[in-house]
Amino acid sequence: MKHYLELVKISAKQHRGQNRMTRLCIAMSVFLVTAIFGMADMEIRSQLMQARKTDGNWHAAFQVGEEQGAFLSARPEIGRVARYGTLNYHLEDGYLLQGVETGVCGFDMEFQEMIPDAQVSEGAFPETAQEAVINENIKTRLGVQIGDTIDLMAPGGAKKQYLVTGIAENTALTAELDAFCIFLNVDGFLELYKEESGADQELLYYVEFRSFCRIQRAIHEISDQLALSPEQVRQNAKVLMLMFQSGDSYLMQFYFVAAVLTVLVVIAGILMITASINSHVARRTEFFGLMRCLGATRKQVTRLVKREALGWCRTAIPVGVTAGVVLVWVLCGMLQFLSPGLFEELPVFGISLPGIVMGVLSGLTTVLLAAGVPAKRASKVSPLTAVSGNAGVVQAAKKTAGTRMFKVETSLGIHHALGSRKNFFLVTGSFAFSIILFLAFSTAVDFMHHAIVPLRPSAPDLYISREDFSNRIPSGLAEELRRYPGVKRVFGRSYAELTLSEERRTVIVISYDVQQFQWAEDALMEGSLQDAADGKGVVSVFRDRNMLAAGSLVKILTEEKEQEVRVTGVLGNVPYNYGLNAATDHVTDMIICSEEMFQRLTGETDYAVLDIQLYQDAADAQVQKIRSATEQACETGIVFSDRRIRNQEARGASYSMSVFLYGFLAVITLIGFFNIINSIAMSVSARMKEYGAMRAIGMSTAQLTRMVVSETMTYTVFGVLFGCAAGIPLNRLLFRWLVTSRWGDAWGVPVQEMLVIVVVMAVSACLAAAGPARQIQEMTVVDTISM
Amino acid sequence: MELLKVENLSKVYGTGEARVEALKKVSFSMKKGEFGAVVGASGSGKSTLLHCIGGLDEAGGGKVFISGRDLFAMGENERTIFRRQNIGFIFQAFHLIPELNVEQNMMFPLLLDYRKPDRERLEEMLEVLGLKDRRRHLPGQLSGGQQQRVAIGRALITHPALVLADEPTGNLDSKSSQDVMDLLYRASRHYQQTVLMITHNRDLTASADRVFRVTDGNFMELGGAEA
Repeated sequence: MKHYLELVKISAKQHRGQNRMTRLCIAMSVFLVTAIFGMADMEIRSQLMQARKTDGNWHAAFQVGEEQGAFLSARPEIGRVARYGTLNYHLEDGYLLQGVETGVCGFDMEFQEMIPDAQVSEGAFPETAQEAVINENIKTRLGVQIGDTIDLMAPGGAKKQYLVTGIAENTALTAELDAFCIFLNVDGFLELYKEESGADQELLYYVEFRSFCRIQRAIHEISDQLALSPEQVRQNAKVLMLMFQSGDSYLMQFYFVAAVLTVLVVIAGILMITASINSHVARRTEFFGLMRCLGATRKQVTRLVKREALGWCRTAIPVGVTAGVVLVWVLCGMLQFLSPGLFEELPVFGISLPGIVMGVLSGLTTVLLAAGVPAKRASKVSPLTAVSGNAGVVQAAKKTAGTRMFKVETSLGIHHALGSRKNFFLVTGSFAFSIILFLAFSTAVDFMHHAIVPLRPSAPDLYISREDFSNRIPSGLAEELRRYPGVKRVFGRSYAELTLSEERRTVIVISYDVQQFQWAEDALMEGSLQDAADGKGVVSVFRDRNMLAAGSLVKILTEEKEQEVRVTGVLGNVPYNYGLNAATDHVTDMIICSEEMFQRLTGETDYAVLDIQLYQDAADAQVQKIRSATEQACETGIVFSDRRIRNQEARGASYSMSVFLYGFLAVITLIGFFNIINSIAMSVSARMKEYGAMRAIGMSTAQLTRMVVSETMTYTVFGVLFGCAAGIPLNRLLFRWLVTSRWGDAWGVPVQEMLVIVVVMAVSACLAAAGPARQIQEMTVVDTISM
Repeated sequence: MELLKVENLSKVYGTGEARVEALKKVSFSMKKGEFGAVVGASGSGKSTLLHCIGGLDEAGGGKVFISGRDLFAMGENERTIFRRQNIGFIFQAFHLIPELNVEQNMMFPLLLDYRKPDRERLEEMLEVLGLKDRRRHLPGQLSGGQQQRVAIGRALITHPALVLADEPTGNLDSKSSQDVMDLLYRASRHYQQTVLMITHNRDLTASADRVFRVTDGNFMELGGAEA
């Protein structure tokens, strides 16, 4: 031993158990910060990745003329500019390819870099005005190949011939609408536009700004300089938001919420570490007194405490950071597993620098700051403390414990918790912060439920219907398609508009199969679905104020006769909007029945709609086979909608947000759980000698356990009270900022969340008391006293 | 009447080279109301003997009978309850509960038994111990001698048959030491309590009825009070 500070190492060996608990506490706190920041970073990355895939990588678009466009290109903060124009966007203007409405897009080649949907997957981008790229739908349905020519009929009657130079994959929209679309270069597009309208079209200039540019300021300057109206400027809101470059007032609120949550996470970490170090130093008063007794100056004692704290950091911080990073890897892996295509660019073993930096910084600075206060206290320990009769006692009590209200062991337990005000606030504060964090982060789940509508289990990948909604899709086709490779489920619905004879109004009647009835269970407001599924009645749908009450008998007028059916239940909603007239706000009544009942009412057995769900690995060729089989069975007049891309996007967004948000909540809950266990273990360990004395006097282990339980419960009850007192108003505030301001939903007391966290706290408290109680029980009284 | 009987009591710490025989088949007995003192060098096994007799530590072998009851035949819980009702402990380091005042500390064993303290008895003890005006004080506000007097009060409050004192004067000055000894002696005589006390101080064995010596785990009786 060459230096007095080497005592730290020797002392660490002697107090391995106590040091382990302090280290665990620091590691947990670092883990919390690293995991939360790492997850947030990865969530932003995954959302940005997805946003770039679905919405493109552009930042802003300006609707300007050629001259102004040239001005845009010359601006130094703009990295990339591409022109874009479109014709027949709504597929109703009469641009036809072999009689099928076709959308026409014209853009510069650079546009493909900004919008992945515009990329040519096969062949090349058109170089001349007479060349075009066709989408996958045209290729498969018309059998057109690269090198063929296509004839586009313009609404004015002119026929334009294009040489096909490439194929582009379907976008979510074109797949869903089963639409034809061709891409031209800007020259070709402008030529077509001028020929049809006789005027020049103002194109949209899509812009990608350079890195580190303050995008909002740049957009503002451009709009001012070119005197553009707000309608002439578009922003890629999602991408800009994820780049923290949005100027939207709602998003500014969103950023503020994120900042609040960040501060809360850091404070929670600080509280945990401070409570732990405070308890550690308090326990070693005797040792510090002895140091002073032997001649150590106050400064030396302070230095000793700080050196000791840094020693904990050396192992605890890497452990916390590693655990946080591994958790982020697990969540990224989960995302890859849940939605492989969408997050393929998200690295499973990615390193989140912000997470690591925040974890290390918060750990290190908190430990040093937290050690500073107890270090000062330790340095003030009188040398007499080491040699006085009460040496070894945790801290001299200042207040007498009341023993009249409860049994003595309960009173002492409560007193142990309340005895030291500082310790009480630190421990209950760290418990309360778990609740505050949980309640604060749970508003993000509410936000998610509003912002991202998860895919219903009934959502079809392929949707087939008759254009006129007549029941002319043969039921045999459903049977046949079920046997096709790649097909998971096929379910049909028949549709009829009948009359309620007494009320003299129309009612939409829809048939469900067993599977669809099962899915509808979640929407059941009243009554039962079973009778309807068994063909013994119907269920009505609650729409606006229209509702056929459960239990009522309704008379339905069919072509042949009047039939009476019983309404056995009411559904709150259905996943379609048949019978809703947006223009007049008129809502038609709807009832749902079994296929058997539908046949009884209408005499029809075929379907108007066929929904198909596919396995994840179903290939395009299999979809094509389904399409061919459908066309063969139904001939013309069908609508075929491929919703796979849209579903994948919806699923991806939902998975990504769910994985990370529920990840946040799980981490917070876990930290709360371990924090309680660790805090109680530390408290018990600090009083071990006192417990030993009590046992020597005759306190039974059951009484001792009750004492520890009452101490734990006191911390927990106050922690829950403080946590809820601060967490509920915060939850309300964040809910207002995130949800009410956007969707108008009123805030309600988060009863469910509170129940979850209170149950977790109570279970943690019980477990926290059980461990040390068992530990004491297993030790002899002599061992306990001499600790 | 035999109150304490120790038969072949052994205790071993550690294994292999670190093996230490703290007690080697110790046997002796004490009658009701006897005052015994145990002397011996540091590490001779005195405290181990006291801990084993009091059931604070498990013995390696042998038996301890108090009022005819085999201490080690009892379960942990039964032994704890037996201890708080029949044995009073006094420690060198007092081991008072820091958050309980003088009165509460003294009543503590009764409270653990969920018994209502006898106020008269408490007042009497406070009077005898000279702590009447300090009854609301916390241990931190008392001198070493006063703290030890509280510890004695706590040990005697339940009328235990046996009082075990582990160097009760070790932390006290000579005046306080004499006070403590007087108190213990009076208790032994007045309440017919058997007292077994460990001490380093040979002068304090003067008032003991019997004196024992422990040397390297071996126990022997030196006879009556040493001259």
